[in-house]
Amino acid sequence: MDVKYINPFINAAQTVFKTMLSIDAKMGKPILKNERTTSGDISGIMGLAGDRKGTICISFHDKGALFVFKTLVGEEYDKVNPEVVDSIGELTNIISGQARKEFEKAGLNLKAAIPMVVVGKDVEVNFITKIPIISLPFYFSVNNGAQEVMYLDFSFE
Amino acid sequence: MKVLVVDDFATMRKIVKNVLKQINIENIVEAENGKHALSVLKSEKVDLIISDWMMPEMTGIEFLKVCKEDDEKKKIPFIMVTAEGQKDSVMEAIKSGVDNYIVKPFTPDKLKEAIDRARARAGK
Repeated sequence: MDVKYINPFINAAQTVFKTMLSIDAKMGKPILKNERTTSGDISGIMGLAGDRKGTICISFHDKGALFVFKTLVGEEYDKVNPEVVDSIGELTNIISGQARKEFEKAGLNLKAAIPMVVVGKDVEVNFITKIPIISLPFYFSVNNGAQEVMYLDFSFE
Repeated sequence: MKVLVVDDFATMRKIVKNVLKQINIENIVEAENGKHALSVLKSEKVDLIISDWMMPEMTGIEFLKVCKEDDEKKKIPFIMVTAEGQKDSVMEAIKSGVDNYIVKPFTPDKLKEAIDRARARAGK
């Protein structure tokens, strides 16, 4: 996959973390995934179409999702609930919007669908494309200093 | 200052309220879409509208057009908030008389700047 398709997603994830969450998310090593399943416990999925087509899947473990919710909304929960699920959908929407803005700079116009959020590990996802999935892990620290991760998985052609 | 926040996602309304709180704006009323917002405006006098773009029943752009065609409502500064950062959408909102436009993601500072500009444009 051309690097010009990867950079917009990296920039989008880091910009959204910085502006909406005031977090410097550090990207780990990208992984090529053979399994077409969700990487975390709670995942926002969004299809993109236009000059290119593909799917992005933003995935958190429960603790990471709860921290994101608390930072975005200012309220704290111990367990994932429908509000936390909504916030991951909204975050997916925002990251996708930012990525589309980045693609636009490269002359590619894309439209997004409405995000869908799935809760559960290893849920099968239809990424539309036939090429492998690239998984970008972004690490961030939560309250107690523990590391959490957001996976930005995408397939794009 | 009283602000009307319009978004179909309750969580997104909370996110916007959380950002507004960080710039010391706490007098907030909410609506779920443009239609609901018009009904809220019958009983609430607000100083600013912050509306999402994509909503069921009445979208943000439809709501904006209704407001800007009304002698009273058109005086209320109107900010459109959306993740859709593409040029066509921005142009449509500008043509319809939006007082400012903010693309998610945004920081509290960026929202404050958008509010100040929208109020200045609306002569508030």
